[in-house]
Amino acid sequence: MRQDLTSFDGGTPVRRRRPSVAAWLLIAPLLAWVLAFVVAPTLIMLVYSFCERGTLGGVIYRFTWDNYAAVADPTYLNIMVRSVLFSLLTTVACLVMGYPVAFYIGRAPEARRNRLLMLVMVPFWTSFLIRTYAWVTILKSEGLLNSVLLQVGMIARPFEMLYTPGAVIVGLVYTFLPFMILPIYTSVEKLDNALVEAAFDLGAGPLRAFSKVIVPMTSPGIAAGILLVFVPALGLYAVNDILGGGRVDMIGNIIENQFKGSARNWPFGAALGMTLVVAFAAALWYSGRRQSHTT
Amino acid sequence: MKRAHFSVAAVLAAFCASYGCTSQPEAAKEINLFAWSEYVPQGVIDGFTKETGITVNYEPYASNEEMLAKLFSGAQKYDLIQPSDYTIEALIKEQRLQLVNWDRVPNFKNIGKEFKNLPHDPKQQYSVPWMAGSVGIVVNTEKVTDPIKGYNDVFQDKYKGRIVVLDDSREIVSWSLAALGKGPNDVTAQALEQVKPILARWLPLVKVYDSDSPKTALLNGDVDLGVVWSGEAARLYAENPKFEYVLPAEGAHQFLDSLAIPIDAPNPLGAMAFMNYVTRPEVSKLISADFPYTNPNLEARKLLSPEELANPASYPPGNPKLEGFRDIGDAAVAIDKLVTDLKAKD
Repeated sequence: MRQDLTSFDGGTPVRRRRPSVAAWLLIAPLLAWVLAFVVAPTLIMLVYSFCERGTLGGVIYRFTWDNYAAVADPTYLNIMVRSVLFSLLTTVACLVMGYPVAFYIGRAPEARRNRLLMLVMVPFWTSFLIRTYAWVTILKSEGLLNSVLLQVGMIARPFEMLYTPGAVIVGLVYTFLPFMILPIYTSVEKLDNALVEAAFDLGAGPLRAFSKVIVPMTSPGIAAGILLVFVPALGLYAVNDILGGGRVDMIGNIIENQFKGSARNWPFGAALGMTLVVAFAAALWYSGRRQSHTT
Repeated sequence: MKRAHFSVAAVLAAFCASYGCTSQPEAAKEINLFAWSEYVPQGVIDGFTKETGITVNYEPYASNEEMLAKLFSGAQKYDLIQPSDYTIEALIKEQRLQLVNWDRVPNFKNIGKEFKNLPHDPKQQYSVPWMAGSVGIVVNTEKVTDPIKGYNDVFQDKYKGRIVVLDDSREIVSWSLAALGKGPNDVTAQALEQVKPILARWLPLVKVYDSDSPKTALLNGDVDLGVVWSGEAARLYAENPKFEYVLPAEGAHQFLDSLAIPIDAPNPLGAMAFMNYVTRPEVSKLISADFPYTNPNLEARKLLSPEELANPASYPPGNPKLEGFRDIGDAAVAIDKLVTDLKAKD
């Protein structure tokens, strides 16, 4: 936290004041929201993860470590690693595709900028599930894409696309691309053109100006985009079910199954969830520490 | 205040159920129905409201486990739930259901006796059968010409990548148990060890796991074989008779979903009125029209069209080997782990 305060002020230390009552009032709704919908559910999950399984679902309040012992099973660890890889791949693809788009929109004249932004948001007008099912129609073996490719003569027989890991990645990238574009766009929009020009004046080539000036200046947007894509992509299971045919389990599917599937094993589902939360918090803390050491 | 009123009604109902009151109290004007999605026609609900003045709040769920989770969260009290056989058994074991007062459900007599007094509700005290069905094989006969009689015919190497199955570990394990000549409820650690090599061979052949709408992959032509709910198969057959339904020779799972009243239902009398309404043959017929499962209501079956009765997925011919699921307690965890392990190796 302190790190953020100083860096925003360009390095000069901020005089720390006691927050006023008004400040507390302003932040109260957010605090209440976080307490009710983030802290409380996480605590419930923490408690559940140390309980025993109830016969009809639910938990029996008797302490046990068994759920975490079960998480340590290689099957589940492998599934977690695979989910992280899928999520990373999605994030990288979104970044590579999203950055140029966000940059273009952010640098466009204002009237066109708003129209382009509108286009990025239009998909949100339709339910996410419907849009995912639309991909089934595109990718299926007698689907849109295959029939076009067959017509053009690029392929001789239908290409298997639906129900493959590739289809899952396509679906995930499609779903999360706007979440990468929008935060980067806000950073690009604020980017001071004078700084880019200064870089050129001082002899930097386009590549250098991009990597030494533009990327660092837009890094808050990039970081926000990465978080907004990586975290939800890790837990999303619907795309995997619909486009992947449920053939390769992701950690989200496994957790869902503990609550809504025939195993009815809430404590184990909670333990899996807690493991993800802790792993993720540790990763954030570590990268935060590294950053504060380098600056 | 409201709650106090409800519990008075519940006590009254319990009193009447046990002593058989002659002056029957009036049911309250609202029931909360918690039932499977795509299982209760809107026309049936509207007809009930029109006749009795009782409004029905229909909240859908997608699995027995989802229903249990919401039922016990206590956020909402339900008057009627629609669990499957093994879930009813577990609910009865935990004393979570109310006795049905059969005097209030005279139409229950229309239910065929092969659907009564089954192991999950042996004395038939708690549940009114809604629809029965089976899990069997669908064959796209245009693409698969070899005869398919059972699971071993489906799970062959030559059909790799052409099979859809239910995304349900207990179902999947029950098929491999049948292939070994065992019943679906023989889930001892030893039996599970024996099915492991069979499933290790079968699962890599599967292209799609889907419990919600397995017919989609078949209709789209992405797969040619499926092990799916009979209701899905009946709809496929109605769409195109090239989709043939086969009950596996090794034995198949028969399920029975029933209406039941949770122990804390605010309006059990309204719930029983609904039970009586839907077991009326003319009403039950409407359910069959929309959801072509096996109707346990024999009087309603007499009203069905010859086409409906000839649908082999709804009313399988011959004398198939069918068995229901029982509550298996903690074995469900072992089964889930087994299938997850094998899928992860795929």
